[in-house]
Amino acid sequence: MSGPRPTPGAPSGIDLRAEMRQAAASLGKPAHDAPSRAVTSDLSVDESLLLHSIGWEALDVVFGASLVSVPPFVWTWGSGEITSASEAHNLAVRSAAQHLGAQCTAVGGHGVVGVHVEIEVQRHHVDVELTGTAVRPVKGKDRSSAFVSDLSARDFTLLHNAGWAPVGLAFGASFVYAPRRSAGAAMRQSSQNVELTNFTEAMYAAREAGMEHMQRSALDMGAQGIVAVRVAEGPMWFANHAIGFTAWGTAVRLEAQSHQYLRPEVVLPLDDAVVEFAAQSLR
Amino acid sequence: MPAPGRPDGADGPPDAVDTGTGTDLPEAAGRRLESGSFSSGLTVPDFAACLQMGLRPVALVQGFCVMQWGWYGAGSPYSRGLSPYAFGSGGAPRGVYSESYSCPHGGMVYSNEHRIWGQNYQQPWVEEAWAEGFGSAYSRLVEEAGAVGAHGVIGVVDSTRHLADMNVTEFHILGTAVVVEDAAPAPGATPWTTYLAGQRLAKLVEAGYMPVSVVAALSSVRVWAYCVTEMLMEGRPLSTFGGGGYMPVAEVEQLSRAHLAARSLVREHVRGKLGHDTLQGALIVANTQRLAQGDEVIECALRGTRVRRFKDFDPLPPPRPTVRLT
Repeated sequence: MSGPRPTPGAPSGIDLRAEMRQAAASLGKPAHDAPSRAVTSDLSVDESLLLHSIGWEALDVVFGASLVSVPPFVWTWGSGEITSASEAHNLAVRSAAQHLGAQCTAVGGHGVVGVHVEIEVQRHHVDVELTGTAVRPVKGKDRSSAFVSDLSARDFTLLHNAGWAPVGLAFGASFVYAPRRSAGAAMRQSSQNVELTNFTEAMYAAREAGMEHMQRSALDMGAQGIVAVRVAEGPMWFANHAIGFTAWGTAVRLEAQSHQYLRPEVVLPLDDAVVEFAAQSLR
Repeated sequence: MPAPGRPDGADGPPDAVDTGTGTDLPEAAGRRLESGSFSSGLTVPDFAACLQMGLRPVALVQGFCVMQWGWYGAGSPYSRGLSPYAFGSGGAPRGVYSESYSCPHGGMVYSNEHRIWGQNYQQPWVEEAWAEGFGSAYSRLVEEAGAVGAHGVIGVVDSTRHLADMNVTEFHILGTAVVVEDAAPAPGATPWTTYLAGQRLAKLVEAGYMPVSVVAALSSVRVWAYCVTEMLMEGRPLSTFGGGGYMPVAEVEQLSRAHLAARSLVREHVRGKLGHDTLQGALIVANTQRLAQGDEVIECALRGTRVRRFKDFDPLPPPRPTVRLT
């Protein structure tokens, strides 16, 4: 069989083979409807298409970076929250997000989606790197401020269709000392199965302070809540008696009159991957 | 549908395969490409999807380049990073990133080791060497694809790795050369290339974009820390004997700016290769080599597929949310 034919599985009316030939032949010609400046995007093809489906477009890959120092000798001895480390962490994230927002508005974006968050806590500094794609409504006007969101473009589309909008990256971090046991207590407990309440309590204290920082940062941005919260906790390799807790997510606000129910359709896949058989039945 | 392997779909070895005459393709590669069977790096779903859209695999094509770095050798016009005074009294060449930082403490008052001056600067010689290595491997891949009469190369994968303990890096790029069925041959045209394959490539074309080429670049920024950066990063007091106190929680401005500069530079390098096209699926990989006393080398690699719009975008219907009963 030769000649163009509709591709099985493709939407009706689309001949993928003809499209491919047309696309390949187009390389020898000037670009069709070329943008005035090159566009860069770290979104997948699916994400770009989803953004287009709600009338948004990608503009540029944007970055934010910040290194903030932690004063010496704060990790080893003490009690309660290690405030200078918590401050350093929160300042680094806030500063990196500001850099990211500034790059976004510089290219005419209304916000940054799919922000990839990388954080490194070291003895003397906290290093935060943010990378995402600046987006805006097609032919949207420039704005003076931009939202920063770690939601994927897919989640951003769902949120948009539900009547909500991201307002920023909510972030909270807290570092707390886990007080050392007395030498006598350590000796007595060395052969027992016991809960180390100093660590448990430190984790709870860090959790409460970190979550509070995060929620306060969301309220400061005028958000009603936070979605897709992620948490990380545990000791640092250089500070065995300190517990760190970080939480972050996208602060959101209802833009529509009320929440728009998405009413998902129920799908029953026919490619059942969990069909099993009992080996006994073969006997 | 013609069988994969021959640009014209006929059986047996192709008649018009350029075996490398006039090129630097190895003779063995020419013999292998003439064998008549096809090879492909595509997964089975990608293979099936590409056949559906009229792309026929011809050969798994590859390009290699092994580069030895000469960053710190003598004779470079930039002194190759041997000193923060690399650019000399005239400053950085036009278009090259460079920022200087001066001690706010009154110079040598505190100790002989007090770093009264620091600089962030781009290392164009590193970037050019990387671009040469990647570019050579890429051009060899494209050359192989052209030799088998392919229109394009899909599913490109590239990697770089250091060889042993030597100051040597290997660049390796591979992909599947394909022919667009029933398409007119493009004499002299360079095969197009893309990191995409399968359904992702089909969706891209359906959305009105055609891949042009894979694009990659590297930026390199060297940080020579000044006293403030050193104290903040190392937790050191202002003077050798602990006088002057320790720095409080503060942003390390020199390093923050260097990290931002490295990322912005690599984006501009890539943008310079795009013309008015779009970079799709950008992937950035940053590597920070922490030296000592706050000194760093920051390298960022950015890669993606350059795509060009060939028709008006057909808006998709709004996505339908679904729940899977699994």
